[in-house]
Amino acid sequence: MPGKHLKAIFIVCATVWVTLLATGNLSAQEEAACFDCHEAEDDSSVHAVFKTVHGSLNGGGTAACTACHGPSEAHNRRGRRNPPDISFGPRWPSDAETRNGSCLGCHENGDQLLWAGSAHEQESMSCDNCHDSHQLQDLQLAKEQSQEQCLTCHTQVKAQIHLPSRHPIAEGKTACVDCHNPHGSLGDAALHQASVNDNCYSCHQDKRGPFLWEHPPVAEDCALCHRPHGSVNDRLLTARGPASCQQCHAAAFHPSVPYGSEGLPSGSANQNLLGKNCLNCHSQIHGSNHPSGARLTR
Amino acid sequence: MNRRSPLPFQLTAASILVLAASGALAQQAAEPAAEPETPYMPLGLENRPQAQNLQTGYRGSVQLGAGYTSDDNYMFGQYNGLSEEGATAIVDLQWQDFNAGDHYWKISMSDLGLDTREAEITWGKADKLKLNFGFDSQQQVRNDSGRTPFRGDTNQQLPDNWEEGINTSDFAALSGSLRKFDRELDRDRLFAGISASLSDHWRVESNLSYEEKQGHGDVGGGIYINGASADAALLRSPVDYSTTELDLGLSYDASKLHLHGQLAYSDFDNDDDTLTWQNPYSNYGPNVSYPNGYGGLGLAPDSEQVSGRLTGHYLFSPTMRLQFDGSYAVASQDQDYLDYTVNEALVVTEPVPGNNYDGEVATSIFNTRLMLRPMAKMNAQVFYKLRDRDYDADRNGYLYVRGDGADQPGARETVYNTNHDLTSQIAGFEVDYRLPLRSKLSFEYEYEDVERRNAAVEETEEDRYTLGYRIQPWSNFTARIHLQYADRAADTYEWAQNYYALLDTELINATPDTQRYINHPQLMQYYMANRERWEGKLDLTYLPSERWNLNMNLQWQEDDFDKSYLGLTGASWGRLHISASYVASETFSGTVYAGYDVYEGEQTSRAFRGGQEKNAFEIYPPLPQASDPLQDWDLDATDSSTTIGLNLQWLPAKDMELNLDYSFVDTTSEQDYSTPAGSNLVVSDLPDVDTRLHHVEASGTWHMQENLSVQLDYQFYSYETDDWAWDNVQADTIGKVLSFGQQNPNEDIHYLGASVIYRWQ
Repeated sequence: MPGKHLKAIFIVCATVWVTLLATGNLSAQEEAACFDCHEAEDDSSVHAVFKTVHGSLNGGGTAACTACHGPSEAHNRRGRRNPPDISFGPRWPSDAETRNGSCLGCHENGDQLLWAGSAHEQESMSCDNCHDSHQLQDLQLAKEQSQEQCLTCHTQVKAQIHLPSRHPIAEGKTACVDCHNPHGSLGDAALHQASVNDNCYSCHQDKRGPFLWEHPPVAEDCALCHRPHGSVNDRLLTARGPASCQQCHAAAFHPSVPYGSEGLPSGSANQNLLGKNCLNCHSQIHGSNHPSGARLTR
Repeated sequence: MNRRSPLPFQLTAASILVLAASGALAQQAAEPAAEPETPYMPLGLENRPQAQNLQTGYRGSVQLGAGYTSDDNYMFGQYNGLSEEGATAIVDLQWQDFNAGDHYWKISMSDLGLDTREAEITWGKADKLKLNFGFDSQQQVRNDSGRTPFRGDTNQQLPDNWEEGINTSDFAALSGSLRKFDRELDRDRLFAGISASLSDHWRVESNLSYEEKQGHGDVGGGIYINGASADAALLRSPVDYSTTELDLGLSYDASKLHLHGQLAYSDFDNDDDTLTWQNPYSNYGPNVSYPNGYGGLGLAPDSEQVSGRLTGHYLFSPTMRLQFDGSYAVASQDQDYLDYTVNEALVVTEPVPGNNYDGEVATSIFNTRLMLRPMAKMNAQVFYKLRDRDYDADRNGYLYVRGDGADQPGARETVYNTNHDLTSQIAGFEVDYRLPLRSKLSFEYEYEDVERRNAAVEETEEDRYTLGYRIQPWSNFTARIHLQYADRAADTYEWAQNYYALLDTELINATPDTQRYINHPQLMQYYMANRERWEGKLDLTYLPSERWNLNMNLQWQEDDFDKSYLGLTGASWGRLHISASYVASETFSGTVYAGYDVYEGEQTSRAFRGGQEKNAFEIYPPLPQASDPLQDWDLDATDSSTTIGLNLQWLPAKDMELNLDYSFVDTTSEQDYSTPAGSNLVVSDLPDVDTRLHHVEASGTWHMQENLSVQLDYQFYSYETDDWAWDNVQADTIGKVLSFGQQNPNEDIHYLGASVIYRWQ
C-alpha cells in the first residue's frame, strides 16, 4: 500500500516538473521580464534608453537591459529583494569595478583604452558617475555641458577659467576634453597627446616650427611660461614682462636693468616697461625663421 | 631669500602616518567583530544638481530667438561672439533618432546666429559604422581701442603727409593719421570622420579636418643698428593660416590585447611670410629713415608633420597588465630663406647660406606602465617615460643685417644657428595599499633625467617622492592628503655655452676672456637649475546630509633654487578653494564657492653695461659693474586672485525654471624692488595692477506646454583694470615705441536674450 501512494506522488511531481519545464519557468536561464516592473512612466528614465544607441544592444528589448545589467536571474524572480547582477544604483550600487566592467565590455578601446590605472579609476569612479545612458541626451558628450561635470570635482579650475587671460573654456569653445582625456592617458595631466607641447601644437600649429632661431624653453615645454587654464597676466603668462624675461636673461645693458615706476608715463616712459615691454622689439618670442632673426627681433 | 619653514610639511607627513597607523590599529581592534566594509565611493557626485528632463528627455529641440548686446566690447565678447553692440540671432538645434531601424543619426547645431557657430551631423549603423562631419567656428576679440597710422596689411605704409622725427613726440602728423582697427581672429574648421568595424576584433577610423585662421593680431617691430636702442612700432599683424590634418587609425581588441595605431599628417600653411612696415623715424641715415626705410618681420613658416602612434595594453593576468603609448613624429619646414633685409638700399654682399632652411625635428615619445596587484589590497606599478627631441638642421653662419638699420656688417659679426636637442627619461614606481576605514596609503618615487644638447646645462637629475593618504572613515566624509618632495641637481652651468655657440671665432678672440658671455655668469636659468620643491595638497569633502556637499581644497608648492644667485631664486604658489552645494529638493539647488590663488616669485639680477663694465670676475676694487654686488637688485612679484561664485537653480512651479549664476574675480599683480644698502641703483616699486570682474547670468524659462517653452536670458558683465603698461600710454608717450595708445578695458555690458524652445519626441 505505501508503495502505491509513493508511486502516485512521484508521477504527479514528475508531471508538474515536466509541465514547468515545457513552459520555461524552470529553465536553466529564465528570460528577463524587466518590463513587468519597469514600466514606461513619465518620471522614470528607464525606457529612455531605448531612444539611444544602447537601446538596440543584442537586438533591443530586455536583451538590451541584460547586456549591461547582466542576466540578473535573482532580480528577475524577486525584484524588490534581490539586486540586478550589475546595478548602477541608487538602491544597490555595485562596486565601481563591476559597473565599469559592464561598460568596458564594449568601450575598452578608443579614449577608454588606458582607463585601468588612470586617476579617475584609482579614485574608484565609475562610468555612470559622469555618463547617463538612460537619457536621450548624455550631457557629458556635449562639449559645453561636459565641463560642468568636471568642475564639480576640479573646483580649483573653476576659478582659473574666469581669470583675465584665459582659453575659451567658460564659453565651452575649448572644453576640458579637448585637451584632457578623462578616461586616462600615460602622458602628463592625462592629456590626449603624448606630450604637453604636442597638445598645444594641436591648435597652435604656427608655434610648431621648427625655426631657424629657436627659443629653447619654448621648444622644451610651453608650461614653463604659460598657465593654460587661466592667468592673472596677459597671454596666459605665469609672470608679466619684463620681469618674466629677466628671470632667464641678464645680458649687458637693457636686459639687466631693473624697470620700476620711474619708467611709467609720469617718468621716463621706458620702452622696456610699457606697452609690450621686451616684445616691443623682441616679438618673435616663440622662434624666428628670418635669417636676421638671431635676437628674435625679426 | 626667505628660508622656508619645514614645519608645515613635517606636520603633514606626521599626520599622514598617524592617520594610517590609527586606521591599522582600528582594524586590529575591530577585527574579530568587523563586518565587511563598504568600498570607497567618491563623494559628492550623487547630489550634484541634476540636469532637468527637459534638457535630456527629448529626441529633438530647436531654440529660436534674438539677443541684444548693449555696447561694443572685447572682454565680455572675447570668445562668445557678442563683441558688437546690436542684435544677434539665437538659433540652436538638437535632433537625434535612434529608432530608425538599425541605424541612427544625430544633428547638433549651436550659435548659428553668431560667429562662434558650430554644427555636427552624425550617422551610424549600430556599432558597425559611424560617419560624422561638421564645422566649428571660433572667434577671439582683443583690445581694439588702439589706433595706428599705418595702412595696409602685409606691407604697411604711412600716409603721404607723414612727418618723421627722432622720437615719437616729433611725429607732428600723428594725431591726424591715427585710425582704428579690428583685432579679431577667426578660426573656421571643417571636419569629417569615419569609424567602421571590420570584424569583431578590428576597427578602422579616419578623420580629416581643414581649418582657416584669419584676422589680425599685434606685433612689435624695431629698426636699429645695435642693441642699445631701437626705433620701434606696434603693428597690426596679419594672420592668414590654414591647417589640414588627416589621420588614419586601426584598432584591435581581443581578450588580452588591445591596440590602437594611428598615422597622422598635419600641414600648416601661412599665406604670408613677411610683414613689412615703413619706418616712421628719421634716424640712421636716408637709406633707413622715412620715407625710404622699411623694416621686415618673418612670419610663422609653413610646416608639416608626419607622425605614427601605437597605444595599447596587454592583460597578462587579472593581476598584471602592461600599458604603453609610443609615438614618433617628424616636423619639417623648408621655407625659402627671406632676404637679410627688406631695405633694398642697404648694402648686402654676403648672401644667405642656401635657398631654404630645410629643418627637421624628430620627436620620439614612449610611455609605459606595468600594473600589478601582488596582494588583494595592494596595487603596484612600475613606469617609464621617454621623450627625445632630435633637431636636424644644417648649422650655418648668418651675416645678418641688424634691425634693417645698417649695411651688412663685417664677417666677424656672423652668428650661427644652434640645434637644441633634448632627451628626458622618467622611471619610477608607485605602490598603494588599502587600509581599514576605506583608506588608502600610497607612495611614489620618480627619477627624471634630462639631457640637453647645446644648452648651458648638459644634464639635470631629479628625485621625486610622493606620499599620499586618502581616508573615508564615514560614508559622508573623505580626506585626502598628498605630499611631494623633489630634489633636482644640475650639472655645472656652462654660462658661456651660448656665447661660443652663437658668435664668430674672430669676434670671440677679439673679446677679453672676462667678457665672453651673453647672460651674466652667475645667472642660472630656472628650468635647468638646482631646485628643491615641496608640494602639498589637502582635500576634504563632507556631506552633512544627503542635501549638502561641502568641499575644501588646499594646494601649495614651494620652489627653492638654492644654487641660483641670479635669476629666479624662489617661487611659491598657494591655492585655497572652498565650495558648498545644497540640493534642497528637486526644485531648488544652489552652489557657492570661493577661491584664493597666490603666486610669489623672487628673482635677482645685476645691472651692468658692456665693455670694461662687463668683466664679471674682478675681485679688486674698483669693481666693474658685472662684478659688483652693489649692482644687484631683487624683485618680489606677487600675483593673487580672489574668486567668488554663486549658482542657483529654482523651479518655483512645475512649468517655471529660474537660474542665477554670479562670478566675481578680483586680481592683483604686485612687483616690489629692493637693492642692497649702498647701491646706486634707483628703482621703485611698480604700482599694483588690479582687475575686477562681475558677471551675472540669469535665465528664466516658462514651459507653456509640454513641448514649448519661452526663455529669457540676461547677463551683466562688468570688467575693469588699471594695467600701468597701457595706462596713460598714448601712441606717442613712449619715445621710441609708436604704440597703439590703447586703453585699459573698462566695460559694463548688458545682454538680453529672448527665445522660444520647441521640443519633440
